[in-house]
Amino acid sequence: MEKFTRRDLVIGASLAAPALVLTRRALGAAAFPTKNIQFVIPYAPGGGFDVYVRVIAPMMEKYLPAKVNIVPINVASGGGSRGVAQLYRAKPDGYTIGILNVPGMFILQQQQGAGAYDLSKFSWIGAMGEGERYVISVGSKSPLKTFAELKALSAKRPIKLSVTGPEGTAYAATMIGSQLLGLRTQLITGYKGSADYVVAAVRGDSDAVIAAIPTATRFVKGGSLRVLASFETHSSFPGVPDATSLGQPQLDNISVERVVAAPPGLPADIQNTLSAALNKALADPIVAKWAMENDLIMRARTPADTTQLVAQQRVFFDKWKKYLTAS
Amino acid sequence: MLELWLGGLNGLLHVDVLFFVFLGMVIGLIFGAIPGLGGTTAIALLMPLTYGMEPFTALALAGGVMGAVPMGGSITSILLNTPGTAPNAATCLDGYPLAQQGKAGMAIGAAGSANAIGAIIGTISVLAVLPFANELVLLFGPPEFALMGLFALAVVATASRGKMLRGLVAGGLGLMIAFVGYNDIAGGERFTYGVEYLWDGIHLVPALIGLFAVAEMINLTVKGGTVAKSAAAVKITSMTSGLFETFRHLGTVLRGSLIGTTVGAIPGLGGTVVAFLSYSVTVQSSKNPETFGKGNIQGVIAPEAAICAHDCSALVPTLAFGIPAGAEMAVFMGLLVIHGMQPGPLMLRDHMVEIYGLIWALTASCVLASFVGLLFVRPLSKITLLDTRILVPLVLSTALAGSFAIDMTIENVVVTSVFGALGYLMVRYDYPRLMVVVALVLGGNIERNFHQSMLMGEGGWSVFFSRTISIILIIATVAVLSLPLFRGIFRQLWIRKAPVERSRL
Repeated sequence: MEKFTRRDLVIGASLAAPALVLTRRALGAAAFPTKNIQFVIPYAPGGGFDVYVRVIAPMMEKYLPAKVNIVPINVASGGGSRGVAQLYRAKPDGYTIGILNVPGMFILQQQQGAGAYDLSKFSWIGAMGEGERYVISVGSKSPLKTFAELKALSAKRPIKLSVTGPEGTAYAATMIGSQLLGLRTQLITGYKGSADYVVAAVRGDSDAVIAAIPTATRFVKGGSLRVLASFETHSSFPGVPDATSLGQPQLDNISVERVVAAPPGLPADIQNTLSAALNKALADPIVAKWAMENDLIMRARTPADTTQLVAQQRVFFDKWKKYLTAS
Repeated sequence: MLELWLGGLNGLLHVDVLFFVFLGMVIGLIFGAIPGLGGTTAIALLMPLTYGMEPFTALALAGGVMGAVPMGGSITSILLNTPGTAPNAATCLDGYPLAQQGKAGMAIGAAGSANAIGAIIGTISVLAVLPFANELVLLFGPPEFALMGLFALAVVATASRGKMLRGLVAGGLGLMIAFVGYNDIAGGERFTYGVEYLWDGIHLVPALIGLFAVAEMINLTVKGGTVAKSAAAVKITSMTSGLFETFRHLGTVLRGSLIGTTVGAIPGLGGTVVAFLSYSVTVQSSKNPETFGKGNIQGVIAPEAAICAHDCSALVPTLAFGIPAGAEMAVFMGLLVIHGMQPGPLMLRDHMVEIYGLIWALTASCVLASFVGLLFVRPLSKITLLDTRILVPLVLSTALAGSFAIDMTIENVVVTSVFGALGYLMVRYDYPRLMVVVALVLGGNIERNFHQSMLMGEGGWSVFFSRTISIILIIATVAVLSLPLFRGIFRQLWIRKAPVERSRL
């Protein structure tokens, strides 16, 4: 045999190298995921977003191409901004994803300053469910029986609405909603949590309250709340006016979206894998049952849909920015 | 209703369910003891494990955890001046001095039995009140919450007798610290200096760990020696002496439980305030108030009874309206939702059996945890004989790690250290830490509710005088604040009546 020279080595290596690289690339792409995926929740355990993730993420595991765990972690500091920043800075390799509150995140960033993350750059994967719309309601003991009566009252004196603090989405919904409806209002701010400010209306602290439909429905079913008008395009509550009949179609844009996102620069194939897993999880019978029990709608979205949704929400809220900045 | 009570109990009496109650109890004891962790973390960690379980079993597990946490917390409070959970900080005040006197066993025994009795009384009250939960929660609004907070501050302030001025300074400091953070009423940040961590204000549990645990470790390092001054005393005291003490002071237990139950049912003040409130009321009504803070066993019994009673009744607003009476309840609510039980008016209608099962589990766990605590009293009290050179690094690292572990933020450790230094200075110069804690907890609450009341009343003060409960609270606050004045007058009269006594003075 001829002597094995250095030249042969170089030729061999230069032939093998591209093959190795290509194989590695191919293996890398097909092999996502190979380890556990971290799911960042920028809010405290037990809250609405946390519950969604804990119900849906385990189902997502079933629909991923490989058997890995999706581990939810709560990073609840700075009103949520720390978790969002953590997600933004993570490596865009598909092993860190998170859930964001849209438009909550826009509002929070307005309050806190531009800082650590650019919301337009996230890689959007999908959303957990249809966005929640709002309704305006009164306590069942209230003398107001229809929306027309409420409007008439607001002409005489500002009506008192109970809300959360200015960093919450309920505040934004209330400000924008009351503007669109042409109501003169005086806000009683500072209630904490989604049930607290609705109970305020039941108790009589305030005249009325603008709350998300799942929350309001609970109290309506319990007999303590009466819905006067719905912000949806077509009201799901019988006998009350909706955005169409009130002539304010924009009311339907006010919603809380639970958007699932990844750090900027996520490769498209990984984005699609995650998106497909999420959408299949939303259609899973266990999730469907839970959603039905809690009056929630699970709607599948592609990454493109989601990007459009977020952009829409941003445009909408930018218009109303001046009403939402802290006084 | 009786069928539902029994239904709940019946559901509990299956081997697998009882196993989970027991498991929850063990977890609760451990998490309660480690500073920084607590019921909140325990339930958050257990949530994924409960996915496959029946709702009733998941509730039994949660009940088991929540019932045992106070006992776990009181053990470290007494032995190491380290509040395992925020409410246990009140137990440190007299529990730790008792441990220093070598009576740790007695203190733990008293804490355990007070826990158990408090839980039983709390449960009975909750079962009685639950049908009226709706009306009860609706009776209390922002004016009532603001006044309740003021009342609590007044009670605690007047308890620091002889040190009134220092108490007020400490309280003022607490209030100042409480106002750091995002302002919920008008928006905008206060005193955060752009630090994102401070958006939510100074976090309570890291501050408490610093104020009590780290401060004491600094103190021990400076003084040296061991926690317990006399080894002989440690050998003698046993759990039975603790049990005996609790029954000797049944009035204190009942008072503490009553305070815990009533205040707990209202989603305003929280377990920490309840514990300190019960402590202060006991000090007020005692014949020798100067013995408190130096090892008066009542100072252990009162807060412990209140904490356990409170934990039971905190379920009322959480279940009836979905308004969590604290972080632990918030996580617990998440657990409920995952299992298809939405807290709110429907919960009380459709899931009563599960609720009663939960309450039984909570009580059983509390009583059982007390027994376990009592069993381990001897070996536990030996900790007080450990040399500080071993103890301090151990406790200090556990405290700081626990502080970090609350939500994995390093700033917590910074807060703990700063408050540790503060706490040491307060001990050195004899400023009551009690006041700082209560003011810190209540400050934001009172301010928020006050502003909300003013918004409700459109700027007028009449909103505070329009409802019965508000008026009662105002009268009570004025009464409490004027009590020292009356006592002074009484004493003058007394002295005048007995001229013989005067010569001895």
